[in-house]
Amino acid sequence: MEFLGYVRDNGEVGVRNYVLIIPSCRVANIAAKRIGSYVPGTKTIITTGEVGRHSRDRERLANIYMGLAKNPNVYATIVLGARDDFGYKEVLPEKIANGIKDNGKPVSILTIEECGGLERLIEEGIAKAREYVHDASLVKRQLVPISKLQIGVKCGWSDATSGISGNPAFGFAADKIIDEGGTVLFSETVELIGAEEEVVKRCVNPEDGKRLLEMVKAVENSAKQTGEDIRSINPIPSNIKAGISTIEEKSLGAVQKAGSRPINGVLEYAQRPEGNGLYFMDGWASAYSLPVSLAAAGCQITLYQLGGQDLPKNDPPMLAVNTGVVAPLMFVTGNPSTAKKAPRSIDYSSGGVITGEKTLEEVGEELFSKIISIACGELAKGETVDYMDPIEPYFLGPVF
Amino acid sequence: MVLILNDLDNVAVALEECKEGEQTTVKTKSGEFYDIQILTDIPYCHKCALKDIKKGELIIKYGQPIGIATTDISKGEVVGVHNIEGLRGRGDLKS
Repeated sequence: MEFLGYVRDNGEVGVRNYVLIIPSCRVANIAAKRIGSYVPGTKTIITTGEVGRHSRDRERLANIYMGLAKNPNVYATIVLGARDDFGYKEVLPEKIANGIKDNGKPVSILTIEECGGLERLIEEGIAKAREYVHDASLVKRQLVPISKLQIGVKCGWSDATSGISGNPAFGFAADKIIDEGGTVLFSETVELIGAEEEVVKRCVNPEDGKRLLEMVKAVENSAKQTGEDIRSINPIPSNIKAGISTIEEKSLGAVQKAGSRPINGVLEYAQRPEGNGLYFMDGWASAYSLPVSLAAAGCQITLYQLGGQDLPKNDPPMLAVNTGVVAPLMFVTGNPSTAKKAPRSIDYSSGGVITGEKTLEEVGEELFSKIISIACGELAKGETVDYMDPIEPYFLGPVF
Repeated sequence: MVLILNDLDNVAVALEECKEGEQTTVKTKSGEFYDIQILTDIPYCHKCALKDIKKGELIIKYGQPIGIATTDISKGEVVGVHNIEGLRGRGDLKS
């Protein structure tokens, strides 16, 4: 089976064709925003920055920048900075640009000092972005195998349907993507608490299983250090209102999005898998955090599987808008009432399983087809708005 | 109707709102049906006890423990944060 994608010189395949603008430090945020709003076909992030963070967190931030640039959906990248040697070594413009060059894609560095001031930087940035966007438009979609596709999934706004229809439907689609040679990443370390036993058994490499257990233990220990019952934090109030009573209950529903195939590897935060198949990535469940991390790990599409029983009526915006940055963020639900409440935002509903109209196999096939259609260029509904919520990289802290 | 997700479970999920005093259908994992008397209102997506559960007994859903009963729970009663608690991530308890 195949999809239509943008084939890059390095053999990877994008489902979108963006030019990325990275502000490598906070003073470059203004320029990134201005260039991005001037040139269609660009994507950018506003960085909260690296200042006062320890080296592991600064590396996490650099990995987000470089990972987004290496994402197959990106044609070229412009790295903006204050000065060549300004700030911490992990996020120097040259360091970021070199990390991207390994990937064989065009990259330019522009700094405020070298350009002769902020406004001059914006002007040069616009010129460079327009050139790249035009070059990108020369790349045409081609038919490529599904083995070139990497999908990242998160679940949220969970309710009882998450574990009955929503996550199992994605699990079915995930199995199918993997059987076609593709790759699927799941994450949300906190939502393995209480469900880790079965997940660990599926790790192909026992060392990965051990690391996964350590990741879960680390998150549980840090939850305990708050001095609170974790259910005062997660499950969130909307989960509890929708009938989820403990983190274990939420986790057991959540892991069903991982389907049934063996787990080929356990990845660090924002780390790209080296092979195909199913992977677990350490990550924070937040909708402002996980999609961008999955995109930085190479996922061309991110998917948010929501329960949504506690969703307000009348087409509310989703919990996160376009936080995959360069990777479309699809919204799917297994709750038929959620699909009715938010038709402008929900890309697919597997709620037919709850009403008894459809089988899991049927909705799994339909969801698979929807993912492939969005890979081929159908807009995820979130992509019909020109807005992106803030992104929050998963920092370990503390800050100083 | 309430749905049992695993044969080992002692709770089922309400696939529609169930009202106090009514009889509702229980659907098992293998697709069999039987009736249960509902003792308290059970909102859509919330859990119903399938048997009498003693305080301190594990609550089983998906065939796995999801927590422990903090009070005696009767068959047909709604199960939620008011009568069960989790066993993991309990920073509020001294270890």
